Amino acid sequence: MGIIDILYDNFHYLVACLLFLIGFHTMLTHSNLIKKIMGMNIMDTAVFLLFISSGFVRGGKAPIVGPGTEGPYVNPIPSALILTGIVIAVSITAFALSLIVTLYKQYGTLDADKIAELRTKER
Amino acid sequence: MLHLPVLAVVISLLGAYLIPLIYHFRRNLASVVAVGISGLALCFSAATAVYVSRYGAFSYLLGMWSIPWGIEVYVDRMSAFMMLVISSITFLVMLYAMEDVRHELTEAPRKWYWTLNLLLLASMMGVVMAGDLFNLFVFVEISSIAACGTISVKGDRRAVEATFRYLVLSTLGSGALLLSIALLYMVTGNLNMTYISGEIQKAAFLYPKNLYAALTFMVVGFGVKSALFPLHSWLPDAHSAAPAPSSAVLSGLVVKIYIFALFQVLSRVFGPVIAGIPVETVVLLMATMAVVLGSVLAMGQKELKRMLAYSTVAQVGYVFMGLALGADRAVAGGMMHILTHALMKSSLFLAAGSVLYKTGKKNITDLAGLGPRMPVTMGVFSLAAASMIGVPLLGGFVSKWYLALGATDAGKSFYALIIIVSSFLTALYFLPPVISAFFGKQPDDSVGKGIDEAPAVMLVPMVILSIALLGVGLFPSLVLGLLGYRG
Amino acid sequence: MNDMVVQIITRILIPFIEVFAVYVIFHGHISPGGSFSGGAILGASFVLATLVFGTARFNRKFGHMVSQLVESVGGSWYILVGLFGILAGANFLTNKLAGFGMGRPGYLFSAGAIPVITIGLGLKVGSTMVTLFHGLIEEEENHGDH
Repeated sequence: MGIIDILYDNFHYLVACLLFLIGFHTMLTHSNLIKKIMGMNIMDTAVFLLFISSGFVRGGKAPIVGPGTEGPYVNPIPSALILTGIVIAVSITAFALSLIVTLYKQYGTLDADKIAELRTKER
Repeated sequence: MLHLPVLAVVISLLGAYLIPLIYHFRRNLASVVAVGISGLALCFSAATAVYVSRYGAFSYLLGMWSIPWGIEVYVDRMSAFMMLVISSITFLVMLYAMEDVRHELTEAPRKWYWTLNLLLLASMMGVVMAGDLFNLFVFVEISSIAACGTISVKGDRRAVEATFRYLVLSTLGSGALLLSIALLYMVTGNLNMTYISGEIQKAAFLYPKNLYAALTFMVVGFGVKSALFPLHSWLPDAHSAAPAPSSAVLSGLVVKIYIFALFQVLSRVFGPVIAGIPVETVVLLMATMAVVLGSVLAMGQKELKRMLAYSTVAQVGYVFMGLALGADRAVAGGMMHILTHALMKSSLFLAAGSVLYKTGKKNITDLAGLGPRMPVTMGVFSLAAASMIGVPLLGGFVSKWYLALGATDAGKSFYALIIIVSSFLTALYFLPPVISAFFGKQPDDSVGKGIDEAPAVMLVPMVILSIALLGVGLFPSLVLGLLGYRG
Repeated sequence: MNDMVVQIITRILIPFIEVFAVYVIFHGHISPGGSFSGGAILGASFVLATLVFGTARFNRKFGHMVSQLVESVGGSWYILVGLFGILAGANFLTNKLAGFGMGRPGYLFSAGAIPVITIGLGLKVGSTMVTLFHGLIEEEENHGDH
């Protein structure tokens, strides 16, 4: 059937979109700060998955040129770009976690709603 | 000579890496080195601007790899203009910060302040020069993290909470941006902007929905980062909780480069393909709401820096409006507004910082009677406020005039009316602090016991900014000539 | 951690992890890997050492000043290698035309400036991982446990 074939061919994009929505929803609705960071990571991972899986060539070999290899290679450009993207995501996670440590030290709670309440009270 | 734009970015990065080492050996030398490096970057940007206005745009290939295999740096008139704006304002703000960080930051994070500022300078210049999409993305990320860093370096709980929210929302924007770059790469197979625009006609024919999605994600991604109206909720907290020099750079420069990057991508990558898609209408709608509602929200604020932050929301709307209207004069007005708003908002934030430095107070009502005690500071504040309202002979008037003329050129005179209405609203919230500073009194007349003017190293940058504002107002043709606009 | 089994096994394992990390960094131009992955593995070995042997003992061997030095020098190293290209008359970050020895493709000594940059960056990334971990751990240790 048409729709099953489409789903089978584009399964990786579907999973990536699903993960993006899960991460986005977690980031916006959960009030625990660490869950927000986890949601952020899931969202970034979804985008990486979409980008890398778009470079796959069916029947292709690993993109390493050596004696005796030829034929279609899997596209290496997305992997190289996403390596940079992963490093950026790691730096943002590290920065956000250190901010959370400071916030916990100063407010005593990890709940974003309670922190907002304390802030409006002190303003 | 052609190396200069890349060298400006490179020496700022080199300085950012070496400052922690220098700070360990000699404390005072670190700030001098940082200011010196930003001054060098200013000289390089000025030389590039002169070169581009004489010989036209040029592209520089890193590593001598020809495109599309190599990284291309493309410098045209608008990029050179933005580089000049970025480096000059950063230089003046860092000069101010040499004295101010001694007061606002504790001992430990001071070296990181200079590192983060130099990283921010390097990445902002990288954003305006980028010739391919992935380089743009990397520099946008570096500038976001560095900007968050310059807020949270203050260390108190308000700054940390504001930074957290800014970081989370900014990452959302980055995720959307990366997704749109991935979608564009999937259908065109290139990352270089020139090559994508060559392939995009075919792609628009075969995969139109993919392009709609890429366009939407790109507008949302850059919109979150540049605080376009409904996506602006992080801005008031972040810009009011930051140390004064960081607020000046954030409000004046950081939000603008994302607008510039969005319109560069829209014009260079998408080009004529978006003719049928109502991108401009949607952006104009959000820009109008920003302009009106930003001013309305600014009127209800008690704290000075928060009012200035909401005013930034409104001014960002002006720039979006100018660039989205599309007519020649409107685009020139939008780019001029980037320059004039950077000058005005930096003066305002630096003046607010001097008031905080000397009196320790941050509310608008605390400004009453301060005029005669701190004449230079409040003079700079009043001049910048007058320019924001749009008083003739000052820079703000010139950019608003060109925006209004451009709106009528594009056949949408409604937006000229919006500009006039919002200038009136701006006057409503800027005039009270200015009037009460010079003609008001504190309730118990206690201001002024031992308050005198801020130190010279903090006053000089503010005065230079005001002189530049007057200069742009009196001789706008110099700036317009730099932008390549004739007539 | 005072468990003797864990300490002995870690003592045996850490050199192997570091050798593998150095292998990944050095072969960045002829096989998958390079500075980021190799640096992350190197940093992971140091984090393992910190976890098992305690921060006090680790700080004696690899203190704050050393990691600061490695990070600053690593970053500047990349920029200085790039500036070589400008000094040689070509653009920034030029490889063959700036006079770096190219060697034979597929062998360890090849690709000009790339292994040079990779080594500097690999050390820097490893040091950054350690600094990030220590930054988060020191907050916890300064306040005891909640």
